[in-house]
Amino acid sequence: MGKMRAATALAGATVLAVALTACGGGDDSGGGDGKTLNVLIGANTQYPDEFQAWQKDISAKFKAQTGAEVKFETFASANDELTKIQTSVVAGSGPDVYAVGTTFTPTAYSTGAFVKLGDDEWKKIGGKEKFNPATLGISGPDEQNQVGIPWVSRPFVMAYNTEILKAAGIDKPATTWDELGQQAKQMTKGDQYGLAIAYKDNFDPWKFVWGMSAQAGNPLVDGKTARLADPTVQKAYETYFGWLAQDKVVDPAAVGWTNPQAVAAFAKGKTGYFALTTTTAANSLNQGAVKGKWKFALLPTVPPGATSRPANGVEAASILSGDNLLVADYSKNKDLAFEYVKLVTDQEVQLDYYKKFGNLPANAAALQTLSSDETLGPVTEAAKKSVATPFTGAWSDIQLALTNVAVQSLPDLAKGSISPAQIESRVAEAQKSAQSALDRAK
Amino acid sequence: MTTLVRPEQKAPPPHKRKGVTQQQRPLWLLTPGGILLILIVLIPLALAVYLSLLDLDQYTLRRWIEAPFIGLDNYVESFDSGLLHSIWISVSFSVLSTAVTVPIGIAAALVTQNAYRGRGLVRAAFLIPYVLPSFVVASVWRTMLQPDGVVNAWLSKVGVDGGLWLSGPKSYWTLVLVEIWAAWPFIYLMALAALQSVDHEVHEASAVDGVTWWPKLRRVILPYLRGPVLLACLLATLNHINNFTLPFVLFGAPAPDDVNVMPMLVYVTSFQSLRFGLSAAMAVVSLIIIAIPLYVYLRAVRLDVHEEGGRR
Repeated sequence: MGKMRAATALAGATVLAVALTACGGGDDSGGGDGKTLNVLIGANTQYPDEFQAWQKDISAKFKAQTGAEVKFETFASANDELTKIQTSVVAGSGPDVYAVGTTFTPTAYSTGAFVKLGDDEWKKIGGKEKFNPATLGISGPDEQNQVGIPWVSRPFVMAYNTEILKAAGIDKPATTWDELGQQAKQMTKGDQYGLAIAYKDNFDPWKFVWGMSAQAGNPLVDGKTARLADPTVQKAYETYFGWLAQDKVVDPAAVGWTNPQAVAAFAKGKTGYFALTTTTAANSLNQGAVKGKWKFALLPTVPPGATSRPANGVEAASILSGDNLLVADYSKNKDLAFEYVKLVTDQEVQLDYYKKFGNLPANAAALQTLSSDETLGPVTEAAKKSVATPFTGAWSDIQLALTNVAVQSLPDLAKGSISPAQIESRVAEAQKSAQSALDRAK
Repeated sequence: MTTLVRPEQKAPPPHKRKGVTQQQRPLWLLTPGGILLILIVLIPLALAVYLSLLDLDQYTLRRWIEAPFIGLDNYVESFDSGLLHSIWISVSFSVLSTAVTVPIGIAAALVTQNAYRGRGLVRAAFLIPYVLPSFVVASVWRTMLQPDGVVNAWLSKVGVDGGLWLSGPKSYWTLVLVEIWAAWPFIYLMALAALQSVDHEVHEASAVDGVTWWPKLRRVILPYLRGPVLLACLLATLNHINNFTLPFVLFGAPAPDDVNVMPMLVYVTSFQSLRFGLSAAMAVVSLIIIAIPLYVYLRAVRLDVHEEGGRR
């Protein structure tokens, strides 16, 4: 019966969308006056009031420039956004501009519902050169087929407790995964742990595994072939689980942690490293016992078991993380849409956005002004050294399969023993579903 | 001795009904309901069946009418994608939850049947789990059941290692437990309503006959509860099967295999894997698999209390 409801809802949405096509369709008159541009953007639950104010401010600027109104529509979760994209795509009407997460961009691209950016389009928004080159990595499958315009970056970094590292005689943060494990061992004693890892998070695990594998020369996807059943992936999982199961450098309670719980644990000031975080966690950290005693550092870029990166390894400091702006193909206000994109990717607006919400600029000049900031140095570096996850419509499935390996391993992890064979069989399953997703990719 | 002889009665003349005959029933009055039913149930259902025959995913969504027709491929694949496992988990979890909540609900209703001081308070307290939103219930339990949460802290005081509640095999029992905690007041409400409908005379007659409490409960009161409670069982089981919020908030997606209930599977297939055709097929299969025992149950317990009306 639950299924039926879901199916009914799905079908209902489809019917509705089709019906809406009939009444949809905006005006197509020239000039900006009297027109309205619809922008779909993620809600900001952390700073809702500031976000409202920002929207007002942008609307006013846009009105002054073009005479047109901007109407913001917010979505609460990725799921909401996806539903909105689905109905709009089917209906051929809806928001003109979408703000879409980087890892979701390939999926959005695969619907074929967004404007491909040619020279003209790039010119309209101020040229490709104005962006941090790394952020363009996930705009499209190749240079000729780009749909995503980088808007903000949220690169992943580590946070470390300066006092705990110092007390353990560590003078600088680890740059290889092995070194990280080693330092974590040095710092673990009593109720103090070397690492905080969110093992039960629904996204964190795959980011570790992808990063370590990419550094070892395996991007996980090779054309139409999934490369999950590979020694690099096996090694990545062994390292990732090993911190808790073998090395015991992570609080055993971490098998139940999502990322915000790991932030909270690190904020108590009893952990050396918090291995995967972004600038948006800074506020939480500054409210905890760790205030004034923490710094950001680049995640290790040398794969586990190695002291230097192999020749085919990539210096992936972080997944390419943040938001892209996409202009809908069905939009009747494309010119206005690009003017909006130009506005919000300009240096001044980008810096203002960073100050308000902690998201790094995708604008290269704006990012440069932040790199002199000591706290942010490693983060801006991570933004430049971010590497795009494989650009395929199958990525959401692959990501899910990688996370699933961690989810199903938690009971073994809690018992403190997870054998390579167990990992291998779960990875084999993930390989199967990743490959079948790639086989379906068009 | 006189005998009373019943006066012979003439059969009453065949009563001519003045009202409407069966043929004349104003069935057209059902039109608004019928149209709504078609619009919000039948058409979407037909669409779901149609979608389940298409290769509909993020690549074909944009022109979904032209999505390739692949016949029963989605159905075949759904059986390979753990659908049966999910149906088994959903059904067993639901039946188990219902089976446990029924005695609790009835007992609670009996406890609050007779008036005593503070009964209103007890009745109100019993409703707390039911009025809390599912999301809140799940969040609170999730917090309590963390590896270093309060539940494990209590257990360790009595020398028990709680272990993992939200991953692995024990997660199934967590789901059952939390569902029971949140859902028993529904049975309680239905049973309480049925108890109130027991005629006063029945209680008096039992008292006159000197029946003790247990036979009275078993032979007099419980039969009154049968209909409403059987109906409650049906509704409760369907509610358990439909419950998405609870497993989603408790365990997150992807869910541990042990609690990958049907709503979770369909959710992940639809909104993370973006396989709309496949998830529609899963929905249709589950509908059929659940509708059959449902039909048997409805026939067996005859919830249709207005049988006379039905027999006409």
